[in-house]
Amino acid sequence: MSLFVRKQLPIIIASILGILMILAYFTTFDIFAQFKGIATSWVVIVSAVTVAMGFVYMTNAQIKMYQMNKTPLQLAYTLTTYVFFGAFMIAGLAYKGDVNSPEYQWWFQNIYGNVSATIYAVMYFTLASSAYRTFVISSIESEALVLGGMIYTLRQIPLFQVYMPWIVPLGEWFLLVPNVGGSRGAVIAAAFAALVVGIRTLWGKEVTLEVSS
Amino acid sequence: MSKDKPVTFWEKLGNIDYRWLYALSLVFTIIPILQPLGLPVQVSEPTIGYCDAINNLQPGSVVAVSFGSSLALLDEQEAQYLATWKILFQKHMKVIFYCTYADSALILQKHLGSKVKPEDYGYTYGEDYVWLGYAPLGEAGEASFAQNIRGVYPKDQFDTPLDEIPMMKNINDQSGIDLLIFTYTSCTDVEWPVRQWVVPYKKPTIVATLGCCGPMAAPYYPTQIQGFLSGSGMGTELEVYSGNPGPGAMMSDAKNLGILPFLLFFLLGNVSYLGKRYAGGKSKEVK
Repeated sequence: MSLFVRKQLPIIIASILGILMILAYFTTFDIFAQFKGIATSWVVIVSAVTVAMGFVYMTNAQIKMYQMNKTPLQLAYTLTTYVFFGAFMIAGLAYKGDVNSPEYQWWFQNIYGNVSATIYAVMYFTLASSAYRTFVISSIESEALVLGGMIYTLRQIPLFQVYMPWIVPLGEWFLLVPNVGGSRGAVIAAAFAALVVGIRTLWGKEVTLEVSS
Repeated sequence: MSKDKPVTFWEKLGNIDYRWLYALSLVFTIIPILQPLGLPVQVSEPTIGYCDAINNLQPGSVVAVSFGSSLALLDEQEAQYLATWKILFQKHMKVIFYCTYADSALILQKHLGSKVKPEDYGYTYGEDYVWLGYAPLGEAGEASFAQNIRGVYPKDQFDTPLDEIPMMKNINDQSGIDLLIFTYTSCTDVEWPVRQWVVPYKKPTIVATLGCCGPMAAPYYPTQIQGFLSGSGMGTELEVYSGNPGPGAMMSDAKNLGILPFLLFFLLGNVSYLGKRYAGGKSKEVK
């Protein structure tokens, strides 16, 4: 593939689209607003297509993992993925109502729902042990983090609201004053950084584009 | 955990078998489920702002709900959702639900199908509320929705063209919507409605998210967003403030004691670290 197709063409397309979107945002011309409507609708369509691409990438990753570790256990992991993928596909397509059918709902609520909720629930134990191992006050920065984090957390627990009522206004003050001040600064700084990266991208000068190409 | 055998008291304190910590966490979480504490909840300012943003609308106002909920994290947000649906229906708002996450459509189906039935509030589908189904919107999709609803959702969840739905006859874009309720689970997503609804159209907006995302929503309150809910704690506050009891009370109860092992471990870890550092332990650095 030539350098033009690999590097310059994507930059040209991105630049043209980016400039048109900027014009749609900052001007009142109808033609740019119409273009924005069409372009953003296409984003939704492209996003839907990427779901199918995800399946291709997942298959590629599964094959590579099995090639690196050709054990019965790895094969079981790989097959489990596709068995459940197939089961959900069948449940979603074979019954009247598709994904609204009671059969698909059952699979979704009782398999996917429980498994995913369990994974997050197990994180509670991980958090508890990480609080023990790593949440240590070893510097001024960590003291500030612990102080703010603890007060914000405890403010949300009714037990502390009842027996330590002063934590409520203090927690809210931490959330709405120092947090807002710091976060707004961070957001504004990030916005300026994004602006710089955006301009460099539109100009084709962004270093990461060169590295990736 | 260190493989070296702990020698000093401080080292032993920092090398407790994790399984004891896990067991203690489990016990403390289960106790309030078996024996609810029922402690009162204090309502915070952002929660009041969230509820009042709905209360201040006239009956019949159109509210769009961008529903981006995850089933895995539903426990954290279900109290928020159920209380919000109840308030919307009690206040006789016209509601447009649209789902932005694959899980959301199925969660909403369960909510509206059995937990908070709109029909119980005298609602008729298509006249008082519509459900536009799922589309992987993202920020660009939100922008597109605000500009042209039919461009993103030409049909509703049940394949009925929007033009055939009475409630949607005169609603084509953001101008027909009086309030946006944006729910999400990825902390930085709060910027999407701000950039695509609030800045260009000055649309009143409130958001609902996870407990950990509250500090990132706070910078936009109360100027860009009129209120926000973060986590089951604020979901419980909304239940209390609006007078709609729900699952939040149980979650808050579980949190009451569930936080105690976390605090204990935090304390033990720090005492061990400080002891090792200042009272003759081995290490002076955290690795």
